[in-house]
Order: sequence, then C-alpha cells, then structure tokens
Amino acid sequence: MKSTQLVSSIQENIARVIKGKSRVIELTVVSLLARGHLLLEDVPGVGKTTLAHSLARSLDCSFKRIQFTSDLLPSDIVGVSIFNRQKQGFEFVPGPIFANIVLADEINRTTPKTQSSLLEAMSEAQISVDNQTYPLHQPFMVIATQNPAEYHGTFPLPESQLDRFLMRVQIGYPSPEEERKVLERPQSLHPAEALQPVATAQDVLALQQQVDDVLMEDSLMEYLLAIILATRQSDLLSLGVSTRGALALSRAAKALAFVRGRAYCLPDDIKELAPAVLSHRIMVSRSQGLRHRSFEQSEQIIQDLVESVPVPV
Amino acid sequence: MPFNQALRLSSVLLAAAAFIGLALGTSLPEWLLLLTGISLIVTLLRALGVDRLRHVLDRIRLSTTAWNILTVMAFAGFWIDLVWISADLLAAGVHFLMILMVIKLFNLDQRRDYLHLYAISLMAILGSAASTTDLWYLPVFLAYLLMGVWTLLLYQLTKESDAGDRPPSLSKESATIPRGRQQITPELFWLANGLAVGALCLTVLIFFTIPRVSAGFGQKGSGEGLRTSGFSETVDLGMIGPIKRDPGIVMRVELPDRTGLQMDRFYLRGMAYDRYDGKSWTTRLSHRRALAESPAGTFTVRQVSSRSPRPLGQIIRQTILLEALDTAVLFAAPYPESISGQFLAIQSDPTGAIYLPFPASARLEYTVHSRPTPVAPADLQFQPAVYTEVFAQHFLQLPESSERVRALAQEITRSKASAYEKAQAIESYLAKNFRYSLDIPPGMQTRPLEEFLFERKTGYCEHYATAMVVLLRNVGVPARLVTGFLATEWNEYGNYYLVRQRDAHAWVEVHLPNSGWVTMDPTPAISETVGDSQWFAVSRVIDTLRLRWNRFFVQYNAADQLAVVRGLKEGTTVVRDRAWSSLSSLLAPAGDFAGKLLSRVVEGNVRLTVGFLSFIALGLGLVIWLVQRKPWNRWRSSGTSQCEHAVIAQIYRNVLQQIARYGIVKAEHTTPREFLLVVGNQWAAAGESVSTITELYCRGRFGKAILTQQEIDLAYHSLRQLTLLDPPSR
Repeated sequence: MKSTQLVSSIQENIARVIKGKSRVIELTVVSLLARGHLLLEDVPGVGKTTLAHSLARSLDCSFKRIQFTSDLLPSDIVGVSIFNRQKQGFEFVPGPIFANIVLADEINRTTPKTQSSLLEAMSEAQISVDNQTYPLHQPFMVIATQNPAEYHGTFPLPESQLDRFLMRVQIGYPSPEEERKVLERPQSLHPAEALQPVATAQDVLALQQQVDDVLMEDSLMEYLLAIILATRQSDLLSLGVSTRGALALSRAAKALAFVRGRAYCLPDDIKELAPAVLSHRIMVSRSQGLRHRSFEQSEQIIQDLVESVPVPV
Repeated sequence: MPFNQALRLSSVLLAAAAFIGLALGTSLPEWLLLLTGISLIVTLLRALGVDRLRHVLDRIRLSTTAWNILTVMAFAGFWIDLVWISADLLAAGVHFLMILMVIKLFNLDQRRDYLHLYAISLMAILGSAASTTDLWYLPVFLAYLLMGVWTLLLYQLTKESDAGDRPPSLSKESATIPRGRQQITPELFWLANGLAVGALCLTVLIFFTIPRVSAGFGQKGSGEGLRTSGFSETVDLGMIGPIKRDPGIVMRVELPDRTGLQMDRFYLRGMAYDRYDGKSWTTRLSHRRALAESPAGTFTVRQVSSRSPRPLGQIIRQTILLEALDTAVLFAAPYPESISGQFLAIQSDPTGAIYLPFPASARLEYTVHSRPTPVAPADLQFQPAVYTEVFAQHFLQLPESSERVRALAQEITRSKASAYEKAQAIESYLAKNFRYSLDIPPGMQTRPLEEFLFERKTGYCEHYATAMVVLLRNVGVPARLVTGFLATEWNEYGNYYLVRQRDAHAWVEVHLPNSGWVTMDPTPAISETVGDSQWFAVSRVIDTLRLRWNRFFVQYNAADQLAVVRGLKEGTTVVRDRAWSSLSSLLAPAGDFAGKLLSRVVEGNVRLTVGFLSFIALGLGLVIWLVQRKPWNRWRSSGTSQCEHAVIAQIYRNVLQQIARYGIVKAEHTTPREFLLVVGNQWAAAGESVSTITELYCRGRFGKAILTQQEIDLAYHSLRQLTLLDPPSR
C-alpha cells in the first residue's frame, strides 16, 4: 500500500471515532510520524483518551494509560525491580511506559519528580533502572493531557519540560451535529474497541523513515529560522524558542507535508504548524500583565510573529 | 554549454573580433596576419571542444618558461620594430599586440590569462578604432561589443562559482569550474544579448549627445591625400592619362534637389588654364583672393544679379563629399556661385576655380550652388567682338604652332560666322574624325598636338581639349582648357554621382560675347559599359551605405548635435520626422534594391528568378529548421533543474505582477497557497490559471522538481490566459 494511502486510512480510521476533529487527528498523526509527543490541553470529557486509544487501535500497537495523581511515583511509570525467590535475584517488572502509545492523563497533577521521570523517558526513548538500561518500544509516543481549567493542587510543567512535547493541541468541543452523532452511537461498546487496525508498528516506523526524506528547500529553512529568531527578538516574549523548538518545527513541517502527500515542504506547512509547535515553548513577558499562561494568548503571539516574517518567493 | 567552455569560446571570439578590426584597419604584415589567424582558428576549434586537437595541442605544449622567453623576445622585437623597421609607434605597437595575443591564446589557463587577453583585445579594438572611419568597423565593433558582454558576464559567473567552491590556495587544476549547474540557460542567453543591445543603445545615446572630435587619429593614409594629377599650376599634356585607369573614389556628389534626375554628363570643374606652350598648360591667372563669408560658413564665389544682361541658368545645388586629395582645389559644377561648409577660408582665382588655403588632410564635405551658363540667343548670330589686350593675351595666346594647324582651323570653320558656330564645328569635327584611346605611348613627344591632329588621330580628353582650344584660338575665338571630373556613375539608391580617379577629364570653355564662358567638350562620349549587372548594383548599394555611414556617424559633429537638441526643444514631432527620414534614407537603398530585383524577376529573367526563389526557399528552410530543431535548446542543461526553477519562478513573479495591476497584491508574509485563496476570493475568473501556476511553482520552487517541457508550456499558457481575462469586478 502506498504510504500516502496508509496515512490517510489511519486518519479515516480515527475519524470514525472522533467526530468532526479532522485537524486534531491530522496533527496527532503528524506528531506520530515526526517521532514526537503530543500535549493535549483541554477540559475533561472531549475525547482526549479516546483519541489516544483509537490511534493505538488503528496502528495495532500496544496502548497504556497512566492516570497521574499527586501520589504517583516514578516507579509506577517506568517499572520496578522485584526480588525473585526462584531465581535468587532482582527481576525488572516493566511499568506502563513500556507500550507504543502511552496516555499520560492529567500530567500536571503529579509531583515534578514523577513528571521528570516520564519526560526523560520521552526524550531518550529508553529508561534506566538499577544501572540497567531498557529501550522502550518503537514506535513510542506519549500523549499527555492537562486540564487548563483547574489549577488547585497542580504542578504546572516548567517550559524546559514542555519543550519536549512536539506540539500542544486543543481538541475543543464538537459542533452540535457532531455531538449528536456521538450520542447516537451504541453505548454498549467503547467505540475505539470496534476499530480494526489499518497499519502495523512496522508500517509506522517505515513512514517515520520516509518523513526524514521529505525535502525542505534552503530558502524554507531560512524562513523557519527567521520565525524562530523573531520569537527570540520579540518584546512580547521573555523566552523565545529553543533550538530544539526549531528542530521540532522542521520535523513537524516535514511530517505535515508527508501527511498531505508531498515529498517537499511548503511555506504553508511551516506557517500552519508554528502556533501548535511553538506556542508552549515560549514565555510571555510579564509586561503583558498576565498572571498565568494562556493557551490562546501565546498562540496568538506566535501567529502574529509568523505574519511578520516574509515568505520566500 | 558549460560556463568554462563558453568563457573560453567567447574570449577567443572577443580576441578574434579585435584582430579582424586591426587586420582591416591597419596594414599588418602577411606573416603576422597568417600567424594570428591560424592561432585564432586553432584555439577556437579547441574551445569548441574538438578533442583530437586538444590532445595534439597538449602534446606540443611549451613550458611556461619558453612562453616567457618568447614574450621577452617579442618585447625586444617591439623596440627593434619601433626604431628600425616600421619606425612608427602605432604600427610597432600593433605588431607587438598581435604577438602578445598569439602567446596568450595558447596560454589560457588561469584567470589572469583571460584578463590579459581582454586587455590585449581592448587595446586592439581601440587601435583599429583610431585608424579607421570606415563602414566595416561597425559590424566588427558590434561583434566585439556582444562578445565583450558575454565574456565579462561569464568571467564573473565563473569567478563567483570558483570563489564559492574552493579555497583560493588550490592548484590550477581545480581552477576549472565545477561541473553541474553552470550551464547557459535561455534566460542567460537572452539576458546577455539584451545587455549588449542595451549597452549599444546607451552608446548611441552618448554618441549623439556628448561632444567629440570627429575623424580618427592616425587614419589610414592621413597626411597624404589621394594622389591625383591635373590640378596644379602646370599640366603636361598626357598627364591625365595614367590616372584614367585608377578606380579609386575621389568624391561623391549628391544632388538633393534633383532626386531621381540623372544627367548624362555631369561636369565637376577644377582649374582652368590659359597658356599653352606646345607641351604643357599653365595658368597665369593663379593669384588667388579670399572669398567673403556671409553668412557664417557660406562663401560667395561670384555675385550674379538678376538684372545681368546675360541669361541665367537653373541653380544646381550639390553636396560633395571629397576624399582627401593632394590638391587644394575644390570641385564643383560650373559655375559656382556660393560654397558652404566647415571652412576657415576659401580662395578663388580669376578663372573661377576655388581652393582651400592648403590641401585637406581628411575627407571633407561641402555644399555648392552653381549656375551653368546657357548660350545666349544673340550669340547664335555673328557678333563683332572686341577683346581687350589683356584678355587677348590670356585667352588668344598661341604657341609657335605650325601653319598646318592654322590651315586646319580655317578649313573647319570656313562657312561659320559666329564664334559659337565655329566652336560647334570644331567640336563635332574632333568628335567625328578622331578615335578615343588611352593607349598613347608615354614619353615626351616633340609636338604632341600636331601628332594628335595629323598623324595618330587617337587620343584622350586632354588631346581633344587641347586641340579644340588651339584651333579656336587660331580662328580668333577665346578659349581655355579646364580640368576636372566628368561624373557618369550614377548611384540610383543614394541619388548621387560616384566620382572616381578614372573620371578625371579635360574640356574646353569658350568665351562668347553675350554669354560669357560656355562649357564645350569635344571628347566623344565613351560608351563605357560600367555594367548594369546585379553585382554592380550590389556594389552601389554598399557604397550608398558607406556614404550614409560617413554622413551620419563619421561626419556627425557638434553642429549636428546642436540641431538634434534644438529639434528636441522644438517638439517631438520634428525629431520623429527627422529620425524617420534618416532611418528611411538609410534603409531606402536596400528597399530600392529589393524592389528592383523583384521587378527584374517579374520581367522574366529565368536564371535570376530561379536563383531568387531558391534563395528565399533556403531562408525559409533555415527558419523552419531553427524553429523545429530548436538548436538553442542544446544550450539548456540536461540533468539540472536550475533553469526550470528559474523559469517557473519567473512565471510566478509575472503572475504576481499581472494580478497586482488589479490591486490584488501578495503580502510578504502570504504563502503562495494562501495567496491563491485571496485571488480566488477577489478575482474568481483567475483562480484556475493562478492555481495551475501556483501548483507548478510550489513543485518546482520548493520541491526542486524538474518540470517537463509540457508543464513549462502549461505554465506559460496559463500566464497568457491570465492576461486575456477581464479585470476583476469591484
């Protein structure tokens, strides 16, 4: 099967469950193909878990869900070594992180210690327990969620850690018609369970490989770097985008081009993804008079910055 | 064609253009011509990539030291040449330059060698410019200009790519430009040629606006004018004979008021002689007076009032372009009344001849108003004439001539009463009974006139005229001998007479009591068939072009510039008319020629028809072949997409310009696809074309895809569609 068809069939499969959210689905697939992790920031009950679940189902991948609470320990995520009497030695029992798709629900509810253990695993794609290194499954993707409405008893992720997520996406409420379709569905079975896999983990790895080959023309590279530079020079921001952020945007743009059936990037790819990829990596300056970070505001700032950068002709 | 090869080729061609300029403009020795010519051909072939030649050349390659020694030897040779051989800085310099060029041609390895070659060729073309004002310089210079633009462009391009691709310290082996993208694309091709045309236009502008000194320095044959004879104070009988075979051009005479009119015999009067001593003619009336100048630039030769009792002829206006001669005489149709030109002073003697104070060293142009003297009706009858003693002394003077001559004169004029009748009788007697021939044995005869009249009975104009003057004087009619030119070669394309050395002529002026001096010519008209063949027509066309070149470029001076500026002031219509008329006068000869050729064809000359038709067929075939095969496509690179990128990017920019005209402007931060949406919203009709081009543009520009010819054509087609659309409704 051709890779483009494969990608679109994955999207279609997920779209059977998540109604009317084709953009979110596309961004999810982009994250997957760019070997990135996704941060969903939204209120509960809009389908964050379902999205992650249906993605895993569609890919015929293993899926684990970790509910983050304040008493969650790092070992609850990565696993623990237990003494085995028969073998007279410690035996490593892998934690829920050993899966292809991991849903880290309400990641800001747990302590920074636990958060950082997850984030380390995310960036290294391996974990170390008792001087032993264990590689994680491939493909590996963490979909973390965070509830922006509640702040009591949370430990907000610092920017340095947010940087490890490729994108931050809001799902948002579905339109009334789409919501109606959700209601009309039979309730007996979780909708994601009914999905048939359309691709294998091997397919995903092959697709990721192909994304690397997508061409980004030199002038587009310049364009991308100009955008990154603009965030660093802007008066509105006290912290601009890191080099990792630039890398993320380039990878994401390539993946988006690939998802849209192109072997080369367009300025549109970069422009379109910039808010999603960059907005969580910046710190809005205090002079803007904000007490807390606002999703919409930072996206708007990135949007405005992108509009100020000339597109190569 | 890759850049480095193109650079080599254009450099050699540049040198070749400069060499042709020098070879045509100065007189180079044959061995040098041959040496340089062969070197140019060999290097040209090598630049064209004849591989076998390259191997041979590499094998016989001399070492750098050997070349250096050769250069030093050439320099030594230059000094020897300067001091002993040619003893002229320009000539020696040119010889040295040629040898340097040959040495450099075989040593085009490093970039500085190219620079040296350019410097040499620049000096060569300057040298040829200094030594000529001829028409052929124009094509040579144009070729030089074109090649110069190409060469410098390619030089810069290869230099930049060199600088980008390698550290400067690498050896000369890597100095060759890296293969790959550097190909001559159609854009580059047209850009370079466009630049050349632009440069030429600029040059023309400068030519017409910036003041300059006319005439080339060190012009060919400067200082010594064309050698001619018969225009000094003494003319030996038989002096004109030798030059009657010389086809060198002496002057061109335009008759601006009489376009299309062709007179059979057009006399250009030089000097008149009054004294004949039996062997040679002398003028005793050579004391000259300066002519009055009024208005500036116009000199009055003689005042003829309309109340004069003598009949007045029709005024003939002539514009004469006189080559540099070794005489100071200015020629004009008889009898000049006023002369205008760029003269400081003009002199005249009592016989009506006009002179410059000294012989001109360069070609000069002047306009003369002349009025021929018709025979007054009163002179047809016998009129008693009394001449003053001084007059008789001059114009009735006779050498110690024999009785035979006197008897012959009386015999011929026996039944004639009036002076005019007598003159006519002698004129027709000479014309009928004598044979025209240039084959007169040279050497001094003791009595040339008697020999002509009674023994040989063959001779040429001088003999005829001398005989007539002597015969007339024998019967008491005052007469004098006149030398000048008899123009017969009419150039119908330029409406002028072409006067050559061989048109030198001698004739007679007879004094009639009522009319004054009247021109008569006893020499029979020579039925010279200066062929009416097509080749002569071609040569006449070329000569016309040469005249125009001289008129509009070489002789173009400050006064003409002033005229242009004044014309600009007066209004553009005048300028346009003037420009149009000069243009059409330049082109008219060619058009005329084509018309004549066509009429010949129609007249039914079968061979000519076949030739003409096959020529047209050949031309058409060539055009079709060019269009079909598109040989210029070979210049396109294969396996590189650079040019397609440039093409599609250019098309896209054109689209943006097109649309911007309707106020739909692409903001800097708008991506092509976003802009497509904008266009779709504001100008729905254009959506499809813009969409096609945007798609191709994105693919070619950002995808670096190699677009096929069909896709490029499609893009062009869409662009055309766009221009045909109605503007968007607001």
